[in-house]
Amino acid sequence: MCGIIGYTGTERVASDILLTGLSGLEYRGYDSAGLSVSGESLMVYKRRGEVSALEAAVPDEGLDGTAGIGHTRWSTHGPPTDENAHPHTDCTESVAVVHNGIIENDQSLRDELEAGEHTFESATDTEVIPHLIENALTTGASREEAFREAVSRLDGSYAIAAVFSDSETVYAARHESPLVLGIGDDGHYLASDVPAFIEYTDRVVYLDDGQFARINPAGIIVTDAQGAIVETAIETVAWDPEDAGKSGYDHYMLKEIHEQPRAIRQCLRQRVTELDGDVTIEELASLDCDGPVQFVACGTSYHAACYGAQLLREWDVSAQCFLASEYDAASIPVSDGTLVVGVTQSGETADTMRALRAANRTGATTLALTNTVGSSAVRECDHAMLIRAGPEISVAATKTFASQQVALAMLASVLSETCSAPPVKRLRTLPDQVQWVLDTSNARSIAETYEDADAYFFIGRGYNAPVAREGALKMKEITYKHAEGFAAGELKHGPLAMVSDRTPVFALVTGDATATRTLGNVTEVEARDAPVVAVTDSPADVDRYVDHVLEVPTAGPRLTPILANVQLQLVAYWVANRLGRSIDKPRNLAKSVTVE
Amino acid sequence: MNSVSAVVLAGGEGTRLRPLTQHRPKPMLPAATTPILEHVFDQLLAAGVTEIAIVVGYGRNRVQTYFGPTYKNVPLTYVTQKNQFGSGHALLAAEDEVDGPVLVVNGDQLVEHGIITDVLDAHRKTTTAATLGLLTHIDVGEYGGVLLRDGQVTTIVEHPEDERPYRLNAGVYLFDSRIFDAIRAADPHTGEQSLIDGIQELLASDAVVQGVISDGLWTDATYPWDLLDVSFELFEAGIVDGSKGATTEASATIHESAVIREPIVLGPDCEIGPGAVVGPYVCLGDNATVGSNAVVERSVVDADTRIGAGATVVDCVTGVGVTIGNGTTIPGGPGDVRVGDRIFEDEHLGALLADHVTDRGGNTYVPGAIVGSDAVVETGATVRGTIPEGTEVRP
Repeated sequence: MCGIIGYTGTERVASDILLTGLSGLEYRGYDSAGLSVSGESLMVYKRRGEVSALEAAVPDEGLDGTAGIGHTRWSTHGPPTDENAHPHTDCTESVAVVHNGIIENDQSLRDELEAGEHTFESATDTEVIPHLIENALTTGASREEAFREAVSRLDGSYAIAAVFSDSETVYAARHESPLVLGIGDDGHYLASDVPAFIEYTDRVVYLDDGQFARINPAGIIVTDAQGAIVETAIETVAWDPEDAGKSGYDHYMLKEIHEQPRAIRQCLRQRVTELDGDVTIEELASLDCDGPVQFVACGTSYHAACYGAQLLREWDVSAQCFLASEYDAASIPVSDGTLVVGVTQSGETADTMRALRAANRTGATTLALTNTVGSSAVRECDHAMLIRAGPEISVAATKTFASQQVALAMLASVLSETCSAPPVKRLRTLPDQVQWVLDTSNARSIAETYEDADAYFFIGRGYNAPVAREGALKMKEITYKHAEGFAAGELKHGPLAMVSDRTPVFALVTGDATATRTLGNVTEVEARDAPVVAVTDSPADVDRYVDHVLEVPTAGPRLTPILANVQLQLVAYWVANRLGRSIDKPRNLAKSVTVE
Repeated sequence: MNSVSAVVLAGGEGTRLRPLTQHRPKPMLPAATTPILEHVFDQLLAAGVTEIAIVVGYGRNRVQTYFGPTYKNVPLTYVTQKNQFGSGHALLAAEDEVDGPVLVVNGDQLVEHGIITDVLDAHRKTTTAATLGLLTHIDVGEYGGVLLRDGQVTTIVEHPEDERPYRLNAGVYLFDSRIFDAIRAADPHTGEQSLIDGIQELLASDAVVQGVISDGLWTDATYPWDLLDVSFELFEAGIVDGSKGATTEASATIHESAVIREPIVLGPDCEIGPGAVVGPYVCLGDNATVGSNAVVERSVVDADTRIGAGATVVDCVTGVGVTIGNGTTIPGGPGDVRVGDRIFEDEHLGALLADHVTDRGGNTYVPGAIVGSDAVVETGATVRGTIPEGTEVRP
């Protein structure tokens, strides 16, 4: 959940680079931030709140030093306060440490250290690390040995970076939390994620679990747990540094909603040929699966995964979808032929990673469907398929959901032998149809009409059911209003009790077979005086049943829900906008959830 | 002047290009396979511009999502002009983004970089309140005219009707900060603050306005059929390389039995089926498909458009997401076109199909036909004249 960054190089004012990097990581977590720069002594600044609060605390001329580390924190141990913000130091303030992850044995280590007369200033698990290093240093160990010694005592998940006073070197270690190194011309970087330093370099080295790194202006050295030097491959990330800007939009979320046509095109590129009606996914050429498919995912990705599972079932492949946090490979029948697909935007989601590791242990084939090249999920799984949506900064996922749906539709048609050509053909017209929705949507005026409703309900059947749940999730995430999504038929089995004239119901009425039955549910809620907004591809037929219509083009029963979702994204965005919410960084949420 | 900043006016709709501009502004219409505005940026960069502010208004989402925060490492700043009250009003919107002399160009007119360079050089030599790029051009009456005496502008008018020796105003300006007050001081005509009125105000205040005569490509699409000429001029001027090898993106798929007649330009993900004949003078946008045995000639086909098997498409402009069904014939050739309440005779326009038109196949288009967005043409129809948006055409 947290983000870390480290820098060492020839730039005298390391604090500027660290601050820039931290703002690039803000999406990962943001209830406090801090940095430390090694000059003649160790300078540590940390503040509760957003990175801008830290920026104000750091002297205007910056901190003079060539090595430093920084951190944005999303609280797991201890409330968000200045004290609990990283970096943490030892008693003598000779080492500063930032950490992402959870140390499971922190209480026993803390007891041991406190008995050894170490004084703790914070309630965090992280603070044991600098004290462990201090202990090791007093035994005469070198700085690197002390760092290794301290890390070897830790149980749990971590990406750690440490910097010592009067030093040009940053030490780092990784176990089950993301860490990537960046190789630049004027210095080297480490971070939880590439956007932290993409402005300076696109050449990166991904660390594996159990590896250590030492970076100083002369270069980077990666070693394994035993201290042997590891040969590392330098990869070039394709993200354009400019992709991180808002390009004139008020919010990243609105920008990303509008980027969906391009994201879908990217996702389809060189994978779908229309005249042959063929889908080829190069990176899955070696995937051979006819057995059952199990999806594991969380949040928005889970809704996309449900959609993928439905497609597969329609095309005669047995498929199930699980919430990753509830997935327990021990009690789910996994055979050798089972393909377990982890759907995760960041490729770092802890719940999904745990499920994938469990699946790997059972011998199932695993596949990561993700947006992030070289992420933990990609390296954990036997196969990986990229959704190519480009970086998504807004915490509320929008374009990656659309890209996941499109990628899953392609994946389903590759896995299934009975899938027919028309949906494949229609995939290619989809980006243009999304553009049409963006150009013509009246979601803004509907949002204005219902901005002060008590609650919002979303209903849909079949392929629309996951979209209804996703519509409600988006509404909850960014408006902080009560919202629920149901399979339309479920409404009358309970939730109908909550429906009143102050709870607008958004009905997804697309596709021929299920539309009429959903309209039946619409009349149920209308009888309770609830205003109804239909998202539909046949406005002429639906108009007379409902109060408002959000129109989408027809893309067939399987793909129209992708278009319907765009309308719901826009409604949620405009409601949140009217309410003045912090849209890109909603309270209590973080983009990449790296705790279980 | 090491850093050169430019303001690009891209907020207008381009009403005479309706229905193509229903969903996007004129600067985003295609010239060959990329938006006119992208060509404008390319020429600005070639002239050494280092930062660009774009005034956006109508359809601004389209501009912002397409270009993002930088173009080829030149930072782009977007300024929103909420209402479009003329070119002067648009420039005023960018006032806060400008510090020192500023180059101003139109986002919907293609100007070769030589013209821009000439204006910049002239300004470096002699600093005046304004420097205007001018061309010797026959059709001054359609655009704006300027009268010069000893390199200084004496008169500037829009649509000159008399026979004096007007030069064409190329729409390339270099202003110092005085222009902003001049625009504010000028009387708005019919509620619009025009840049031309601002320049007239400068002249009235005895400020020196110089003009530089250049030559080079200058092209402006006023009416839908002009989009064909604009694209073809790009081929002729070598700005777009029309050779097959140069323009065929790696991700375009051309069947081995298809015939490609240069010049053509294909966007990424295009597909051309067996036996199709494409070219000469054809621009296929991203992800366009040409079915088996179709013939496409002298046409600008925008992104996501699909041309069915056996269709004939000549002198045609399509918007995005258009479907031309199997066996539909757009024979091309001169025809009479109605734009608003004017009739233009014998313009070379086979047909104009706006965004998301669906043609179900087996139809015939009489030259000069204009079909509005989202219209559906059922099989067996003969389409002539102007069809409003969303119409269903039955035989």
